[in-house]
Amino acid sequence: MDEINLTINGKKIVCRAGTTVFNAAKENDIRIPSLCHHPHLEPIGACRLCLVEDENGRILASCVTPVSENLSVQTDSPNVRAHRKNIIRLLMANHPESCIVCNKGNRCELRKIASQLGVGTYDLYPMPHYTGFEEANPFIIRDLSKCILCGKCIRADHELVGVGAIDYNQRGFRSRPATVHDRPLEQSSCTFCGSCISICPTGALAVKNVSFAGSPQKEMASICGFCGVGCSLVMGIQDNRIVDVNPSPVENSINQSTLCVRGHFAHDFLSSSQRLTTPLLRKNGELSPATWEEAFAVVTDKLFSIKKKNGPQSIAFFGSSKCSLEENYLFQKIARVILQTNHIDNGGFLTGRSVLNRFQSRLGGMSIGPLKDLEKAEVVLVLGADPTHSLPVLGYHLKRVSKIKGVPIIVADPRRTDLIPFASLWMPLATQTDYYLINGLAALLYHRKAYDAQFVKRFTQGSDEYFKELSAMNLDQISRVTEIEPEGLEKAADLLAGKKIVFVVGHGILQQRNGLEVIDALLNLALMTGSLGQRGTGFYFLTMENNALGAWDMGAVPDFLPGRQSLVDNEIRKYWDRAWKIKISPDPGLNIIKMIEAAEEGNLKAMYIMGENPLRSLPQPGQIRKAFDNLEFLVVQDILDSETVRMADVVLPGAAFSEKAGSFTNLEGRIQSFDPVVSPPGQAKPDWEILSFLGNQMGLPAQYRTIEKIRDEIRELAPLYSQWGKNGNSSWIKEKSDLALFHPDESGESALFSPLVPLKENIRDEDFPFKAILGSWRYHLGSGTRTGSSNRINQMPLSGEIEVSIKDGERLHLLDGDKIRLSSSYGSIERKVKVVRNQKPGLIFVPRAFYENDARNLLPLTTLEAPNSPGFKEINVKIEKT
Amino acid sequence: MTQKEIDWGRLDEIIKRHRDENWALIPLLQDIQEEFGYLPPEFIEPVAEALKLFPSEVQGVITFYAGFSLEPKGRNVIKSCRGTACHVKGSRSILRFIKKELNLEEGETSPDYQFTLETVACLGACFLAPAMMVNRTYFGKLSPPKVKSILAQYSRPKTGESEIK
Ligand code: SF4
Ligand code: SF4
Ligand code: SF4
Ligand code: FES
Ligand code: FES
Repeated sequence: MDEINLTINGKKIVCRAGTTVFNAAKENDIRIPSLCHHPHLEPIGACRLCLVEDENGRILASCVTPVSENLSVQTDSPNVRAHRKNIIRLLMANHPESCIVCNKGNRCELRKIASQLGVGTYDLYPMPHYTGFEEANPFIIRDLSKCILCGKCIRADHELVGVGAIDYNQRGFRSRPATVHDRPLEQSSCTFCGSCISICPTGALAVKNVSFAGSPQKEMASICGFCGVGCSLVMGIQDNRIVDVNPSPVENSINQSTLCVRGHFAHDFLSSSQRLTTPLLRKNGELSPATWEEAFAVVTDKLFSIKKKNGPQSIAFFGSSKCSLEENYLFQKIARVILQTNHIDNGGFLTGRSVLNRFQSRLGGMSIGPLKDLEKAEVVLVLGADPTHSLPVLGYHLKRVSKIKGVPIIVADPRRTDLIPFASLWMPLATQTDYYLINGLAALLYHRKAYDAQFVKRFTQGSDEYFKELSAMNLDQISRVTEIEPEGLEKAADLLAGKKIVFVVGHGILQQRNGLEVIDALLNLALMTGSLGQRGTGFYFLTMENNALGAWDMGAVPDFLPGRQSLVDNEIRKYWDRAWKIKISPDPGLNIIKMIEAAEEGNLKAMYIMGENPLRSLPQPGQIRKAFDNLEFLVVQDILDSETVRMADVVLPGAAFSEKAGSFTNLEGRIQSFDPVVSPPGQAKPDWEILSFLGNQMGLPAQYRTIEKIRDEIRELAPLYSQWGKNGNSSWIKEKSDLALFHPDESGESALFSPLVPLKENIRDEDFPFKAILGSWRYHLGSGTRTGSSNRINQMPLSGEIEVSIKDGERLHLLDGDKIRLSSSYGSIERKVKVVRNQKPGLIFVPRAFYENDARNLLPLTTLEAPNSPGFKEINVKIEKT
Repeated sequence: MTQKEIDWGRLDEIIKRHRDENWALIPLLQDIQEEFGYLPPEFIEPVAEALKLFPSEVQGVITFYAGFSLEPKGRNVIKSCRGTACHVKGSRSILRFIKKELNLEEGETSPDYQFTLETVACLGACFLAPAMMVNRTYFGKLSPPKVKSILAQYSRPKTGESEIK
């Protein structure tokens, strides 16, 4: 039976079989008090507050009582109320009397329920259980004497974030959530995601380093501005300051009551003393405060006179994958329409846009991938991705599908990531050999006939050639190159055989020298296995920054117009010519690396940088500094003082996402709009307002008095965004591909297999015998400009140790904490070392973003763009002890 | 006194025996405790890894059951009864006497790992009150001289390694 009839408080109710009495009541707007129940957690029936009484006077905990036919319960009978009051009295007798100074303040659920039930005094002998106070770390205070043993923190930690840092220790009265060996949190596996704090009903777990204790004046919804997940947040505001951040209580949010350490704690960078609060103009070599009018006038005059003197090709715009859709749209429009240059790029170039580009051009559209659909996967192949650090909430999703849904996960990564304990198989392949690995797996599936022949026949072309190449493939050679034993390859093939695959692709691929080839190989494998076009199949790309897709979609790139439409397509260009009443040059502009080269050569005279800090994010700052010195005019619009800001001729203070309205497109293809939560500091302005003033002054025909005007224009002109806003603050991009596999019922084109190519083998460099991988640590995002301005993050004693294998550690006599110099042929850095188990000998890991992102010094600037994909991931190095 | 040396090889063997069972955790922990006399805390992580559990979960199970101990216990574990029947018959002075004789507090283990002193709620031998248990043997109707002779029986001679039964 699918439906159950029951009666709650005399009201007849029909509900789904298998649900609980608590949920059935909730769906019918009958509120039952609870302390241990949470919609995202498995119920455990610990607090007994949700008691209801059935007709026989039996008392049941409704959150763990399944509905049954003809059940009739009272949720608020005198008996039930009496029991509830007693429970609260007992809990309070056990509770220390520190409510007045507790920073849960009015949000404490125990206090709330006590007052709702009218429990003023508890009339019992007070028996508080003092446990000591833990607050050595910069993020979380634990005062477990306030713990009511509801187990929510533990369940959040296990079921939602999949870290398992805490569990109950001991029994009975002494029982408390504890780490292994009862160590302080910073010595445990805790990632300081803070999800347990937000879910704790009392003040037992609280945020540390709050500038304000208690309940904020108001709370407002927003979106996390750090990574490409785009978590939904609630920000607590006191006197125009953000004093608190929690995951949004919305039940179907992406992040489901979780956040990561950046989202939860690093937003304190917003009130950093490094914020820019007034426009600055360079006068006599010094940056000094100016009015907006002065600043706008200088920008307009200078850009126009440079254009007049040197032509439009002498001006370049560098936008930001952190700025909003509206801002990137206006930014590129000013560049293309007023200054008539296609030299527009954004920071997304460094994090793999060209690789995404390849994907887009081969499929004619990237499909939307809701993270929720990961649940439907048959098998997940994770390549070059450690989302537990880079996009933690995506990592939580993967852990959950593995642990709760039992979906097998295969991880191909040279390093043992935190995902490995959840994986069915880990393939520790040699760096930059993903291409061979994927082709080898395809060959194995081909030999076993374990692929989707029907799909291949119906939707693709060129399979004969591809299969011929697969059948000729030398698997021993693949095994040798990838350093994966033949048994390992077979095991992977066992897991993949006959399955549709979900691919999770990270920066190991997106920033790899061979990134484009890897994408080709992956697409071949996806076509062969029929892993495209359906929910629970296809690709998820880790986008490092919150609006990496959006900045691209808005045309803040050299070769695409808004709506991810190719600039070299004559029809498309004509369309935009008409829309904007101009003539767009058919030549793609320069990407950021080429811009810097052009400045070095003196061909570029002016640059307008919005929301990026190339001196910190790009390799070889010395070279970039020289290039910028060569410019006649540099405008920097940003929120924080930075190396790049200090070189500018004009500085325009922008607003952070929480201080303005805007929208971001996350890695799923979800467009999320947000409203300002506080106002910008000082005279700073929302970036879209700055651009719309400037555009207006420079002669853009359209006026954008409100942000809605910009949105309307994008919606109207870019089909990809035509659905934007149709569904409140969260809508989806509209994908359209000509390929039949995306719409099997209509006619369409076949997808093409791409030919296999021989790649250069990794040759061992005798002078630089180690391979260093550069990667992220969860505490920082990207190059760390923003997270590095967070007080809390800075107070965490992190030293960004370089990780070496046990074998290399022994050979070089390195011990944890020893200082080493790591050098490539481009530069060197000095840091402490850490010897880690499970690391391949010869492999080194260097966390980015630490020490002003010094790791970038190991990389060259120029060869980044060699095959148009930034080889920003790996470099040959040597180690010296210092 | 030095901590006992840990034999990781023996742990691996035990893990291997259980790794593929369902609900392996408790039998595995029992085997470790049987083999080592206690559950060395250093074993929590490897056990968790082998069974794909969180280390905190493993610790939670260990500390939930009184039968598991994260501290090395003496060769002889004395459980002195604190139940009602024994109390009435003077178990308090028996416990005091044992403490004095062994120079141990409740829950402690002697530095030479000869004795661990514990108390229990009721040994289920009330007719023998006051009662205690040493390892798996019951002793009842205790008096200080009787306790003294029992303890002597279990004490290892100061020299030599011979076992005493
Ligand atoms: S710390 Fe908070 S969430 Fe965790 S069990 Fe105690 S009261 Fe519940
Ligand atoms: S902060 Fe996150 S990782 Fe740490 S204990 Fe809480 S939920 Fe677990
Ligand atoms: S996962 Fe990304 S979007 Fe979510 S809180 Fe962390 S940084 Fe913000
Ligand atoms: S809410 Fe049901 S027992 Fe706590
Ligand atoms: S009271 Fe001591 S054995 Fe029962």
